[in-house]
Amino acid sequence: MNLSQVTIAPVFPLWSILVLFALGLAATFAQYRVTRAKLGSSRALGLSLLRLGAILFLVAFALNPSLLTTREHKVSPVIGLLIDTSKSMAQPEANGKSRLDEAKTLLTEGSSPLLTSLREKFDVKLYGLEESLKTLRVDELNGLKAEGVKGDVEGALSELSGKNTLAVLFSDGKVKWDDSPTPGPPVLVVPLGNPAEYKDILIKAVRAPSLGFRGREVVIDVTVRGYGYSGLMLPVLLKDGTKLVTAKNVRLPIPSPGETTLSLSFTPEEIGQKNLSISIPEQFGESLASNNRVNLSLKVVRDKIRILMVSGTPSMNYRFMRTVLKNDPSIDLLSFVILRTPTDILNVPTQEQSLIPFPVETLFAKEIRDFDLLIFDNFNYSLYLSPHHLESIREFVRGGGSFAMIGGPHLVNEGRFGVTPIGEILPVRFPDREEYRRGSPSTVRVSRSGNTHPITRLTAEAMGEGINPSSFWREMPSLDGVNLFEPKSSATVLLESADGSAWPILIVSNFGKGRVLALGTDYSWKWYTGWVAKGRGNLAYLRWVDRMVRWLTKDPSLDPVQVTFPDNSGFAGQEIEVRVQLQEEEFSLNLGAPITFSVFNPDGLKFDSKIRPSILPGEYLASFVPQRAGVHKIRVETSSGQFEESVVVAGVLDTLDAAPDHEQLKAIATSTGGKVVSSREGLLNEIEAYAQKGETRFSEERRSPLWATPYAMVLVLGFLVTEWYYRRRWGLI
Amino acid sequence: MISRRKFLNLALTFTAGVLFSRSKISLSASFPQFFFAQLKYRGGDWDPNPQFLEAITEELELRTSIDGMQERRVITLTDGDLFYCPFLIMAGKYEFDPLTPQEREILRRFLTYGGFLFAEDTVGAKGYGFDLAFRREMKQVLPGHEMRKLPADHSVYQSFYLIGSIGGRQRVNPYLEGITIDNWTPVIYSQNDLAGAWSKDTFGKWVHECIPGGELQRSAAFKMGINIIVYSLTSDYKKDVIHHPFIKRRQSL
Repeated sequence: MNLSQVTIAPVFPLWSILVLFALGLAATFAQYRVTRAKLGSSRALGLSLLRLGAILFLVAFALNPSLLTTREHKVSPVIGLLIDTSKSMAQPEANGKSRLDEAKTLLTEGSSPLLTSLREKFDVKLYGLEESLKTLRVDELNGLKAEGVKGDVEGALSELSGKNTLAVLFSDGKVKWDDSPTPGPPVLVVPLGNPAEYKDILIKAVRAPSLGFRGREVVIDVTVRGYGYSGLMLPVLLKDGTKLVTAKNVRLPIPSPGETTLSLSFTPEEIGQKNLSISIPEQFGESLASNNRVNLSLKVVRDKIRILMVSGTPSMNYRFMRTVLKNDPSIDLLSFVILRTPTDILNVPTQEQSLIPFPVETLFAKEIRDFDLLIFDNFNYSLYLSPHHLESIREFVRGGGSFAMIGGPHLVNEGRFGVTPIGEILPVRFPDREEYRRGSPSTVRVSRSGNTHPITRLTAEAMGEGINPSSFWREMPSLDGVNLFEPKSSATVLLESADGSAWPILIVSNFGKGRVLALGTDYSWKWYTGWVAKGRGNLAYLRWVDRMVRWLTKDPSLDPVQVTFPDNSGFAGQEIEVRVQLQEEEFSLNLGAPITFSVFNPDGLKFDSKIRPSILPGEYLASFVPQRAGVHKIRVETSSGQFEESVVVAGVLDTLDAAPDHEQLKAIATSTGGKVVSSREGLLNEIEAYAQKGETRFSEERRSPLWATPYAMVLVLGFLVTEWYYRRRWGLI
Repeated sequence: MISRRKFLNLALTFTAGVLFSRSKISLSASFPQFFFAQLKYRGGDWDPNPQFLEAITEELELRTSIDGMQERRVITLTDGDLFYCPFLIMAGKYEFDPLTPQEREILRRFLTYGGFLFAEDTVGAKGYGFDLAFRREMKQVLPGHEMRKLPADHSVYQSFYLIGSIGGRQRVNPYLEGITIDNWTPVIYSQNDLAGAWSKDTFGKWVHECIPGGELQRSAAFKMGINIIVYSLTSDYKKDVIHHPFIKRRQSL
């Protein structure tokens, strides 16, 4: 023991101990003065020294002295075996074994298995390397599968940092690593797979918009990478389902490996969801064929709804409808009004009138397909259109265009509808009697079908405050003229006259791929001005016209159920969350009724899914875990019908580049201060060498209190007892 | 063979047509697609040209595809049917009583939500009489919207005829005035007495001479009238791009 090993830890504040010591000294001195007079100086001095000794010991105890002893220990690092389980590790090598199997063989096979040898000498921990580290038991090693996503080495090293671990990584190099300095242990790397023998062609990346506009070119950039097929010319195919959309040849770069980018372009002609695929034919000897194809979905919408409107005469109906359509920025309206008929007499030369020729041939034979919706408003087309124009209109609707016919006296055409192509597409016919009746005002009522149809089922906001949806249409101003239509059996009547005979007023139907609407009145403008007169604003009319246009043109915004997928649809095996939103009208109809959500895999088989209401009214959150890649169908069923959407789920091996990347492994070893080790024996030696270098030493400190011994107490008592003895002997007590 | 019921219906219709043709018909529950509604107000003279209807309607029928009804309805601003009138005429000679706040509010709503008003000062005295009262009321009804001269390329000058001169019983202004809200002019105002130029008596003679231009000036008044009516039913249709090259070419001839 030496004094440098003694430390003090006062039990009272140091100043109070010093004060006590001073008081003790003073008391001792006072005692000396008193006893000297009685016993003489030498005896008084002796008694005082005994007292002083006791006081000094007490003060020393108060300082709490301890003896500090230090002992040094050495600890070997834990050996952390990190086994990469990302998908590329499942790739078979020339010997038929997967890279993961190679790792298992290395650890568990041979006369003295490496894992056993290591466990005899070190504390060994096994980890599966995925996005995060997964601790494994030894008995789990044999059942380990390469199904994870790309292993995150940086994350794993951060996790092991400060745990006195030596990391040994078994990987093919397809891991996350950005070569930045990472705190953590040195990594001994065991490379798996043989880059020189790997042969593959893959679609490495696809850059495509998720949204396209009908009639506008969509460009998809495709990056193709090749291993071992340098200079080979290959076709890259873009398909919509099974239909080939476009193809382009690409030559793989020389030398291999290398990659090249090409652009595939096409112009979608139809709106809706497209499930596209980009593929390259599989080549002989390819290690992986599933990465030759990528699925993607493209939602095709209109940039604008293009409407051609022809009115038979200037009218209030035309003006109000035109105003609504013109003020909608999503609509591109081209309208013609027949200002004079062939029987009207013009009294001025051409240069004094503003009438322009009606370009029927251009509009109805050449450019009709540039439009989404054709509206005839109180228009006697027989005076202007020839049979081939009418046939062109019929084919336009059959092919997916839409047609609306608004009534009025000019429409009647002497009842010849039935024998023209227009009569074929219309949802109505004229009975053999009166065709148009004016002067008998009639209100309208909504039919049973109209109660749930998007055109006539308006939102509470559109109808106005306090309006009962069931009586809304009955409260609309009366119509002063109606066409006496008769609905075809395939048609759906939405509104009908409420006074007298129930003439159908608003009728819809489908024809081919298109939709058709007939409005049997030229007085619907009264629904605008009449509602304004009642102080209820113009929103009902605006919304009604808007909904007619959107229903006719199959605008997705009118779908009663909106299904929103996440930006990235995810991979097979991952949970996909879907947001289901019921439109306000649908929600009010569906209130309290169950909503069902079903998902069907690419084979059409239904599988498990969940749906629950969110905190927002009319909104639901649904989820499912697809087991396969491909187009999955989503079906939402409400009390008013069922609605379907589809989503493309990417395969786990899509775009997978499984070529071993040993350069990456070298980089990991170098930047962590580790090493690349290929042979089994070399590995054991390197682990031992690194473990020795990685031994940590630490000192154990031990503190022994000096005063906490009976000898110290005896010593104090000894001073006091001796003093007491002499005092008594010398007659002071 | 005609049934007895149909015969009686026809007979009643014919009789009603004889009795009420060319007369001012009070509002009924049914409205033609196009008709003139004459605004009746308090004070002044609200009906300075009671005989304008026949000639302009004939002209409308003869030249255009519009089904013109020879019908003029008299209406007040508080009448619930105001909002079903496609063409409201407000004419006068003299200063009239101020509109009530309720009338102003109704007229504001009518003009803001698609209604159309053609106003005429038949005397043509600027700053006096009807002109004074009408401008005063319009400031109250549509505050923040000034009455301005309609520019030469306004749709009302191109809606049917390409108008060179305004015409009228008198030639006070070589232009029309109006209040434009966005792209729509719901109020058009003339001081040339167009309706005076259209007016014929029961014997088919013109009620007024057109001064100083005579019959050419009357003819121009009819053209202007047709254009105002077509504008009221088509708005700025002639501003659509497809019409531009034709109109430009013809104007340059």
